[in-house]
Amino acid sequence: MTLTETNPEAEAVASGDDLRPETEAVAAGDESRPATQSSAPQWTPPTGLAGILSTGDHQVIGRLYIVFSLLLSGLALALGMLIGIEQADIDGGFGVFGQANELFQVFGLYRTTLILCGLVPLFLGLATAIAPRQLSASSVAFPRAAAAAFWTWLVGAIAHIAATFSFGGLGSLEAGAARGQSVELTVLSLGMIGVGLLVGAGVIFTTLVTQRPAGMDLLQMPSFSWSMLVATGVWLFSLPVLLANLVVSWVDMRGADSLRFGGGDAPFEMVAWAFDAPQVYAWTIPLLGITAEVFTAAHRSSPKLFEPMAFIVGAFGLLSFGAWAQSFFDSADPLAQDAHVVTNEVVFTAFALAIALVVLAYGGWLAFNAYSAGERPQITPQFALVTLSGALLTAAAVAGVLRVAEPALGVLREADGDIWRGFFDAMDDLEGSSLVTGMMNFAVLGALLAAVAGLFHWAPALLGRPLNAPLGFLAVLPLAGGAILVGATDALGGFFDQPARPYAAGNPPYGPGHFDEIDALGFVEALNVIGLIGYIAVLGGLALVALNVARSLGGAPMDEAEQGEGA
Amino acid sequence: MADIAVGTPLAAPLPRQRTLLVGTVFGTAASLMYFAALLAVYLRERSDALSDGGEWIPSSANIQLAPPTVAAWTMLMSVVTMQWAVYSIARDDRTHAIMATALTTLFGMSVVVTTSFQYTDMGLVADESIAATLIYVISGSHLAMIGIGLVFLLLMAFRALAGQYSSRQTDGFVAASIYWYAVVFVYVVIWTAIFVLK
Repeated sequence: MTLTETNPEAEAVASGDDLRPETEAVAAGDESRPATQSSAPQWTPPTGLAGILSTGDHQVIGRLYIVFSLLLSGLALALGMLIGIEQADIDGGFGVFGQANELFQVFGLYRTTLILCGLVPLFLGLATAIAPRQLSASSVAFPRAAAAAFWTWLVGAIAHIAATFSFGGLGSLEAGAARGQSVELTVLSLGMIGVGLLVGAGVIFTTLVTQRPAGMDLLQMPSFSWSMLVATGVWLFSLPVLLANLVVSWVDMRGADSLRFGGGDAPFEMVAWAFDAPQVYAWTIPLLGITAEVFTAAHRSSPKLFEPMAFIVGAFGLLSFGAWAQSFFDSADPLAQDAHVVTNEVVFTAFALAIALVVLAYGGWLAFNAYSAGERPQITPQFALVTLSGALLTAAAVAGVLRVAEPALGVLREADGDIWRGFFDAMDDLEGSSLVTGMMNFAVLGALLAAVAGLFHWAPALLGRPLNAPLGFLAVLPLAGGAILVGATDALGGFFDQPARPYAAGNPPYGPGHFDEIDALGFVEALNVIGLIGYIAVLGGLALVALNVARSLGGAPMDEAEQGEGA
Repeated sequence: MADIAVGTPLAAPLPRQRTLLVGTVFGTAASLMYFAALLAVYLRERSDALSDGGEWIPSSANIQLAPPTVAAWTMLMSVVTMQWAVYSIARDDRTHAIMATALTTLFGMSVVVTTSFQYTDMGLVADESIAATLIYVISGSHLAMIGIGLVFLLLMAFRALAGQYSSRQTDGFVAASIYWYAVVFVYVVIWTAIFVLK
């Protein structure tokens, strides 16, 4: 605001007049105001449950996001475990689920819960609590909108899970296999989740753009804040597309007969792009910022060559926008299908290769910082977690490259197929295989590890207390080991033609007939058992983190100055 | 505060935090992406239907170009009145700013009325064809977008009536105008992609 000669505020300041409203002055403890004002009834903020429900405090909202998103991540992992049990005996019919449609419902719910109810809100929670402190701002830009976003997301998440378990889900494999109203509620509640996350992203984006102190430009923000700016920017362009898909689906299923978007498994197919490359990388962008902060802190240095790192994170964000890669943009014309399947397009292949290069460049930046720090890193649980989360992201990028290898290497195959026949055969049909699931699990669980690392790193600012390091190391092993097992077994199963979608319509829907194509069925089932152990391990690791937080809250809080250092 | 002597240089003013503007730009961009996605699905489906040699919009429907064209011109006129409001508030002319906002609101409402008339006139059954479903989704979403824009405009007008905005603080009106221009832009795209191309 520019102060001019006619500015009443400037004149008031110069003349010593106080233009503040009375309530503001009283709240500020200004005793120079007339004594009669102090006799006015003062508003006291509610406490307890009412306080939590009506809070606009960014720290409280951030903590609420973190608590509930961790709980829902645990639920997602439990769902993954159920799918793992089912896949441990592929040719033996159903073990856990009664029919293919139930497996299909849980398959969809695993993805929506893990990513949209677990990972993304966890990052939003960290940002809501930490970003204002990193900018020396008193709060987020729109505190009430932040609270509204949180409650919208939470109610949506609960409704989504409840609707799916009430014979709902994102569509159904066979007519009559799901309850129509529950399917509608599943779709609507997913839309509610999307709206909540979009508003939350808007709050963080606006905070990062407008709440910086004078003199701090965007490239002077801490790495995590920068990564959240890029992430919320990409989510801004992705989540509305998801909402548009859901609205079309919902309107179609409201008609007498679903025409194309609301019938069968179409609602899931409409949103499946959000859980596949390249969009799946978009949900993991803050991983890069957290890794940069924890990594340089462990080396007791500040980030060197920040601008290149900021560019790398920006490029990663740009390449991870994946709303264009949805199967509903494939041509419905059978004659044109080969030419117009999005995942066969050159641009899809180019994006997968480019993302791998960006991840490689980011690894180079980390290595440069480690080298230039000149001393060995301080090994902390968060350092171990970000190192392993970086390895998981790299594994996801490699899986992404292998996935597109078939079309990319088509030219070489035609040139001389005999020499590399075995290699080319292994590359065949990876697009529809469980390698795709492995890639998603590598990326998402890697990002989950990074978020937990952030929790350890910023615990003094978030909880007012540090987390216990030995207990933290104890959690690292199952978290990282389990994530590697889950991703690697899915990825490896893909080379033996295990399908990405472990369900099919028909009778029998899940058993002999649909899995004839799998090579070495016994080996694939053994892989799935190992993957199941991985899910159990990650779940156990999360439980240890929760135990660590509970134990920490029982201890004495740190003083304000130490808490500030945490951010 | 009372002990500041007259003539003491004031501290350097803090840069303005254009919070409302940035938040509105974020919301507007999200709205544009939403419609971009809907129109992408619409055009993809239309292309497939026509390449198969079939019809896109059912022949039983009677989609006239006149009502949406009238609505498009109305929307374009509202751009002028919206900019008039921003121009006026930037010059402390609150009366004209409120009058121009009221006119913009009126134009917006008339588009709602025109669209309602078109719905009853065109005889398109929502669940009869993919085209009908998508047309209702897209135009219905745009009606919702107009509704949000009208609430935004009225809010700014009432705030101006209460003396909130002036030449020193125009953010509310500028933010409302950015959103409103997006509303108009989306309608022009809908007019072209749906009603002109059919």
